[in-house]
Amino acid sequence: MAHLSVENVTKRYGDTVAVDDISFEAQPGRILGLLGPNGAGKTSTIRMITYIMVPDAGTVRYEGDPVGPWSQQRMGYLPEERGLYKRLRVKEQLVYLGRLKGLSKAEAAERADHWLDRFDATGWADLKTEELSKGMQQKIQFIATLLHDPSLLIFDEPFSGLDPINADLLRDIILELRRDDRTILFASHRMEQVEQLCDDICLMAQGDVVLQGSLRDVKERFGKNTLVLEFDGDDSFIDELEASEQVRVNTRSTHRVELSLADGTDARLVLDLALDRTEELYRYERVAPPLNEIFVEVVGEAEARRMQEEAVEVPA
Amino acid sequence: MSLHKIWLILSSEFWRRVRSKTFILATLLAPVFLIVLLFAPTLLQQFGEESSQRTVAVVDETGNLFDRLQRSVDDDSSFVLRKVSMSPDSLRAAVLAEEYDGYVVLPAALLDEEEASVTYYSRESGMGGPSRFENMLEGAVRDALLAARNVPEEVQAIMGRNVEVSARTISEEGGGGSSIVLTILGFVLAFSIYFAVFIYGQFVMQGVIEEKSNRVVEVIVSSVRPFELLMGKVLGVGAMGLAQITVWMVLAGAGMMSAGTILTLFVTPADLGVSGNASTQEVMAAAGLSMPTISPELVLWVLLFFVGGYLLYASLFAAVGSAVEQQQDAQNLMYPVFIPLIIPIMFVTFVVESPDSTISLVLSLVPLFSPIIMPLRMTAASVPLWQTLLSFALLVAGFVFTIWLAARIYRVGILSYGKTPGFREIAKWVTYE
Repeated sequence: MAHLSVENVTKRYGDTVAVDDISFEAQPGRILGLLGPNGAGKTSTIRMITYIMVPDAGTVRYEGDPVGPWSQQRMGYLPEERGLYKRLRVKEQLVYLGRLKGLSKAEAAERADHWLDRFDATGWADLKTEELSKGMQQKIQFIATLLHDPSLLIFDEPFSGLDPINADLLRDIILELRRDDRTILFASHRMEQVEQLCDDICLMAQGDVVLQGSLRDVKERFGKNTLVLEFDGDDSFIDELEASEQVRVNTRSTHRVELSLADGTDARLVLDLALDRTEELYRYERVAPPLNEIFVEVVGEAEARRMQEEAVEVPA
Repeated sequence: MSLHKIWLILSSEFWRRVRSKTFILATLLAPVFLIVLLFAPTLLQQFGEESSQRTVAVVDETGNLFDRLQRSVDDDSSFVLRKVSMSPDSLRAAVLAEEYDGYVVLPAALLDEEEASVTYYSRESGMGGPSRFENMLEGAVRDALLAARNVPEEVQAIMGRNVEVSARTISEEGGGGSSIVLTILGFVLAFSIYFAVFIYGQFVMQGVIEEKSNRVVEVIVSSVRPFELLMGKVLGVGAMGLAQITVWMVLAGAGMMSAGTILTLFVTPADLGVSGNASTQEVMAAAGLSMPTISPELVLWVLLFFVGGYLLYASLFAAVGSAVEQQQDAQNLMYPVFIPLIIPIMFVTFVVESPDSTISLVLSLVPLFSPIIMPLRMTAASVPLWQTLLSFALLVAGFVFTIWLAARIYRVGILSYGKTPGFREIAKWVTYE
């Protein structure tokens, strides 16, 4: 069975514990979202999975065997910080990176042509990499990640810096890779991207896995304590509810609000107030909490805010 | 460790560098610059002399010296003498009016046996004119005094004879070249190895820094082990260096072969006192340009010590590069690499003068210094084989150690961003598992 398992893995740098005895699994044909703010231990975890670093304790296994040079050949890794050889020509670069993954020169050249075509980039083959725009370089790096047909793929913030059209193209390809029964690890700060793409999630904070499971299970576990209301007219009832700490406001605009109910608050109370005070109520719905809220509940507000701030900074 | 991957990285590094315009230009232009540098002083001197032919007015109060002086001046085209009889004041005015370049009064007392002095007056300062004039005048005065005492011709000839001393080194193997040439060869070798190790080591360091600041390194080490990347890079740059050195050696070889021919373009064999149909070797020997015969063993050892020294230092340069994100940040960390490389250079003269002293022996055995000192000793003296072998064995042990050390720093360094680490921090990296 082609799957990845991280078993009781610990990584220290001197006295700092970057990853503290974590375990999780990723299954083929599914996308695992690895979430957490900077410093949560995501990068260290990915570096141990990719065999760039070795754990101080515990084991990372792929298809049952400890990872090593053999698993590197079957794995494609797109790091958060992109990087290519600036002065190499595009195709030469792809062929070189492909050969380092064990492809023959001819195979690498053939696949480079195929993928350049797929990304409408055949004309770039003989350009120097530094002559390409940032977005074009991203595409080239993405091709380099896929070139050797890996069965395990690790994408760290793959959408950052991409325009919407290319982001869609990338999303399609990732979903295509999932249909081919590949194991995909998707690391991100961006909760909405994770919610859209992932089947399973693994939340990390301060070197620990604080929450994991399938996205559906996780959401169910946190129940339907979230209300979405859409209305016209007076919205002062929201301020009152918030002031009395009966609800917490997640997002709010003139005509829409998303609330989390505090423990012991009756959802009915909110409905009654809304009917009473607004001119018109279009929508009242109890929903599973968004991932954001789950994260806030698990790691606390301060940590969650830090992560959202980082998520805003990343595309810059 | 995968030798295949090291080979892939090595050849990529090698070709990427060798086909670059900078490399091709540097390889072809360096010998040109070197030749210009070597010959510029000689050429300048020659041009300088031609333009500075001095016309000197001579007042001969002895009535006896001018002709003799004129005769010795005939050998030296840099002076033209005019016999005049004017007062010092009008001579002074003539010199200032640039009618003459200088003037000399030869007092009658000059031929008395008392010590007498002559003053050379000219517009220019500098010792070139007076000292050469002194040599000629000395000869003329001596000849005049000897002739006045009726000293036989033979004795006069003996008095005028010059003896030249040329030095040659002898060794157990016999042979040996003229020692001045070997000494120069030693200096050239020592400095060439120093510069080669230093410059190619810098290339390695720049390459490491570039990969790290580009962030491409993280992609690469998800395909190969950091050690394979390090070795591929060090060996790739080393291969580039050897290619460059080979090109230069071929050019130098071709240059030496044709040196005699080139020489005959400028001088006629007869001027050098050899017959017109003399071979190029004979011409060159007559011109004092005999090429030392360099034994193939010496060439081999020089190459081996260069390669050993390169591996030792290049891996340390790579370790420094892995710890920083920009070239400027490397300054402080460079000292431990820099200083051991400079120490043998400070001892070069000493080792040339006393190649068999204990200090020279010790320096030539220490792996950090031996790549420069041992080839130098080998040109300056005949070094017992056991010393060469011991020195080389120690050098191999040395670079195995520095590569091990560098690999441990490198694997942590290439993934560490942010503040430039200090020595203490880097020492900690070495101990990480």
